[in-house]
Amino acid sequence: MLQMDVDRRAGNPREGGGRSQSTSDSHGGSRSRREEIACGQAWSHPWRPLAGPALLERLRVTGRPRPKVDPEFVLRLRRHLDAELATGSTGEGHGDVDGAPGRGPDAGPGVGPVSGSRAGAPGPGGTFSRPSPLVVTRDRLTRVLACEAHYVATEFGERTPTPAMACGAMIDVLLRQLVCVGSIGDPMADGLAALSVDDHQRGLLSWIEQLPPRDREGLRAEVERQAEGLQLRWPALEPGWLPRTHEAIRAQLAGGSVELSARVDLAIGRPAEDEASVAVVEIKSGARRPGHRVDLHFYALVEAVRSWAPPFVVATYYTMTGELDVDPVTDELLVEAARRTLIGARALRRVADGIEPVRSAGTLCGWCAVLPECGPGRERLDGLGGRDTTRGEGR
Amino acid sequence: MTRSAVRTSELTAPPVIRIGEEARRRLRDRLLSRVSASIEGLPPGGQVEVTLPLLRRALVHPDRPAMDEEPFAWKPVFVRRSLGLAVVSACVTGRFRGPSEAVVPIATDAVAEWERTGWRTFHWEPWFSGLPSGARAVVLADAVGWATSLWTAFDWTAFAQVPQIGGADDHWTCPAPRTVRLKGRSELRVPLTAPGSVPRGRQRSDTPVALVSVSGGCPEQGWAEGLAYLALTAGLRSSSLPVPARVMGLWPDAGLHRTVDIDEGALEVAADRVARTVGVVVGARLSTAPPR
Repeated sequence: MLQMDVDRRAGNPREGGGRSQSTSDSHGGSRSRREEIACGQAWSHPWRPLAGPALLERLRVTGRPRPKVDPEFVLRLRRHLDAELATGSTGEGHGDVDGAPGRGPDAGPGVGPVSGSRAGAPGPGGTFSRPSPLVVTRDRLTRVLACEAHYVATEFGERTPTPAMACGAMIDVLLRQLVCVGSIGDPMADGLAALSVDDHQRGLLSWIEQLPPRDREGLRAEVERQAEGLQLRWPALEPGWLPRTHEAIRAQLAGGSVELSARVDLAIGRPAEDEASVAVVEIKSGARRPGHRVDLHFYALVEAVRSWAPPFVVATYYTMTGELDVDPVTDELLVEAARRTLIGARALRRVADGIEPVRSAGTLCGWCAVLPECGPGRERLDGLGGRDTTRGEGR
Repeated sequence: MTRSAVRTSELTAPPVIRIGEEARRRLRDRLLSRVSASIEGLPPGGQVEVTLPLLRRALVHPDRPAMDEEPFAWKPVFVRRSLGLAVVSACVTGRFRGPSEAVVPIATDAVAEWERTGWRTFHWEPWFSGLPSGARAVVLADAVGWATSLWTAFDWTAFAQVPQIGGADDHWTCPAPRTVRLKGRSELRVPLTAPGSVPRGRQRSDTPVALVSVSGGCPEQGWAEGLAYLALTAGLRSSSLPVPARVMGLWPDAGLHRTVDIDEGALEVAADRVARTVGVVVGARLSTAPPR
């Protein structure tokens, strides 16, 4: 199902490639380097990353017909999720959203694609409280499916920043700038300025500011290299396509006791009418990993349940290499995403309820804080001679 | 019909009921008596400002209904609504093809106007103009996202009259023994006139209106009372304007909307919720007040 525009063997930047090798021009890049990147010569392999209209065309034309908007299918999907999640719930949050006598969005097939409800008069609210919903995110799903015990061990800890994390955060905001304003000035300065107005990035910003000069220069070089590629290759988006960045998408399930939540880096396209019309693009500054695909399938599911129409395509753009992975969205993809989400949501509920987490040996074991008391994890490492140098996703 | 067309049709349907002056007076009296009881414990000079976020928070966190008191500082989240509304307004007039095209010129014009005349259309102009370009881009991108969700929520060609986009908040001060101020904020005021009955752009003061309120996240417990609260505040604010006939809440993140047709019962429940909220706020203040 996955369609690729690139040769998977390609994509390794030329050794030593980077801003330090050439003279800067007014755009913060180098003319020769810019030309190299634009025509694909920055890589040793003859494969060239898509750019401009070709990249856009690859997003727009997936090789499959765009899915028809089918509220009945989405309704069946919703009902399945509702029923399965309600079965696994502890009884909270069922019934009407807040006791109001309006018809909820899940009331039945007559609702069609419009998810509103009407309340003639509000009910007597404030007489009971609904516990916070179980929030299912891409990251939580991935982690709990890899190993419940590892998920519990890392649930409340703050992630220690890394250069890769810093680069990713800055490339994220630089994409927003490029889409919204059309240009990037000094990538490092713009990226840091953007992080400075985001309360959630205070820790990361402080970490970057305290980096030793050499590490900071390394980060700067990588951010500039990736931002340069982004500027050269990323196509201008017509305002009429309604490009928006960091779009929050959520779907309430099981009477509000479960909430699927995501934030997509870039969404393009008007709301669907007869056929799916929205493209969802995730930007990755790191290396390609198989898990990125299922992350996006989760996004497709949330968008479908939220909007009663799926995106027609979900794609990952790798700013390090210029690779673009494009997944046309199909009913099968959504059903598989729903299946994975159900398994993950049940696991999340189990650990939230304090039930002993299942231990699953995997590539996280070598970094896991609970390894000393984990039988499966120790067995795995023993089998590997005590060293696990792999890292990846679990099931 | 598209979802936006269906939603527009639901919003602009003829009013179900009209709240008369007598009902408005009864509501006012009911609110006053209940709020007066709730606020008795507040020391002289104390005051409470009721807003939709406070109503929500008091229901979910009755032990700490007030937000943490942090000194005010501008953030992108404080700009996106006002800038987003201006963007939607500009798109409605057809000046731009979409929010991403409108946002930069509108923000730039606002800053230029402030620099030229000292007049702040939005209040955030000095802060925004002092930001480095990367931070400015975040502000603009947030506003584009917010505006796009409102812009795509409705079929704007289907409105018989152009809705009022943004505008001043509704305020009403309750003449209770302590000051209780109700503040309501809605994003759109939509005249409920039949197509062709009034020339586009004109609105009579007795034309019934529907309000639209945009919120983040998902509909929360008590959403119907929250929406009715906006009609209550607008209805108490001015006796010369009709009580809004309908309030629609939009939760774009969740792709949901909810509608409350306003009748006296809906307003009574909202008034009672206000009184309960005031009671919760007063209780929380008294429990944290240092002993005398």
